[in-house]
Amino acid sequence: MATNVTETAPAGLAEHLFRREAGKLVTALTRVFGLHRLEGAEAVVQEALVRALRIWPFHGMPRYPAAWLTQTTRNLALDIIRREANFEHKQQQLIAFMAQWPGRAADSAPLQEADLRETRIRLLFACCHPQLSPEAHVALLLRVLCGFSAAEIAGAFLIAESAILQRLAEARQTLREKQVALVIPDGAALFSRLEQVLHSLFLLFNEGCKAASGEVLSRAPLCQEAIRLAESLVEHPAGDQPKAHALLALLLLNGARLPAPAESAGNLLRLREQNRSQWDRGLIARGLYHLARASAGEVLSEYHLQAGIAAIHCAAPSYAATDWAQILDLYDQLLASDDSPQVALNRAVVLAEVRGPQAGIDAVLAIPDLPMLKSYYLLHAVLGELELRQNNPRAAATYFHTAVQLAELKSEQLYLTRQLQACLGR
Amino acid sequence: MSTDNGFLLIFRSASWYQDLSPEQMQQVVESWVAWMDRLKAEEKWLGGDAVEREGRLVMGKTRVVSEEPFADARETLGGYLVLKADSLEEAVLAAQQCPGLSYGVDVEVRPIASKYPRLDDAVSQELTRR
Repeated sequence: MATNVTETAPAGLAEHLFRREAGKLVTALTRVFGLHRLEGAEAVVQEALVRALRIWPFHGMPRYPAAWLTQTTRNLALDIIRREANFEHKQQQLIAFMAQWPGRAADSAPLQEADLRETRIRLLFACCHPQLSPEAHVALLLRVLCGFSAAEIAGAFLIAESAILQRLAEARQTLREKQVALVIPDGAALFSRLEQVLHSLFLLFNEGCKAASGEVLSRAPLCQEAIRLAESLVEHPAGDQPKAHALLALLLLNGARLPAPAESAGNLLRLREQNRSQWDRGLIARGLYHLARASAGEVLSEYHLQAGIAAIHCAAPSYAATDWAQILDLYDQLLASDDSPQVALNRAVVLAEVRGPQAGIDAVLAIPDLPMLKSYYLLHAVLGELELRQNNPRAAATYFHTAVQLAELKSEQLYLTRQLQACLGR
Repeated sequence: MSTDNGFLLIFRSASWYQDLSPEQMQQVVESWVAWMDRLKAEEKWLGGDAVEREGRLVMGKTRVVSEEPFADARETLGGYLVLKADSLEEAVLAAQQCPGLSYGVDVEVRPIASKYPRLDDAVSQELTRR
């Protein structure tokens, strides 16, 4: 996925190699250490990266950096296993397991790759345990599976690092105390856990693009990681479900439009000014593929509907040539299952495209939970926009004025200020 | 000052890397490797190695062996290299390029002592003329 951030590929090392390997190695170690020693696994991997940092400069970059890290992690883990008494009864078994894991990356054995993928999915399900909050799920996924530091997660969520550290510590403790096993649930339990996983991946993605303002550089990577995790999920039998494909389709189709002003994600008003030639055609193609896979069953989830809406936007050659009637139909269905005022607000914008601005204004004012949106800048921005289209610049100006004050992002404030000036100029 | 024997660059630091994220560590390692690779390419690199953090300290007259050789975490030796340079100033200039400095690594630059007594330039000219 293209981002606004220019990332120069490092000489010799693949982009994000350390972060990706950290995620892989913690995953592999969890097989040996168990979920109750997640922190120990993270520490071992961190130590292996530190060794690379200390040693590589003197000898140059190793020919197979990933293999070097794997071997070093393995050695450090073996040291711990040999040293610690509570591993004693398992020692022989573990040493045998470690000795063949994960092999030399140079001849990357496919069997071990499959084993790693299996563990990754198990860990994904474990991290999304119902005893933990969705916020904890997201933090754990980023820390454990994606190799982000607490500071980076805190930076992306705009909250204090100490809060993330505490969230992670509590989550690990819960996993330990509840003796959560590293297994994928089956039967009805699988169904509900998969819901949790999908919801958390959705949350992770939204964190990534919500306010990906350019002021916070570390957000677009979160979207990428959500897509990567969702992709590995649907490749696994436990996750190969229509609803999971629908979510992945939604993430891809929304992700495809991120390279354009990322800050406008979720703001339908600004879709108009997006440069569609910058949308990522590759991601759109993958999104449409998974949307097709999603329609295999009887299920029509919210992810299906939202992915369907995103697909129509992606297929439209321009804002004006968008099939608004079909989008409105999907919004009506979405509203039937999710009657949140945000959905109703978006629906009103679409309704205005189909039946004119006055119909949109009426729909906004008829939202049952309208007071809940009172301090949401987008409510006022939408009303301002619709009043402006109705040729009521004075009313529009009042709305835009309120919207500017409520908007948190600089880019949104700039946009709204421009709109406000347009009203006053009339 | 004779410079034939090169300069010893000693890298010392506290555990500055412990709090870095994998992403940051990758950036740091890339810049370190690039720096040292450049010294090698310029043929200024005469040798060097990283050292392990654990070791022993054998202490003076008592010959007591300490397992905690590092009184001060700040002092931990990370590695050394032997640098070819024409002067102490040039060696210092090279040391100032070390990417670790931004992370609190100290680099000590010490000329390696010559085996033979240093000859004054004037004396040396006098000697060769004879």
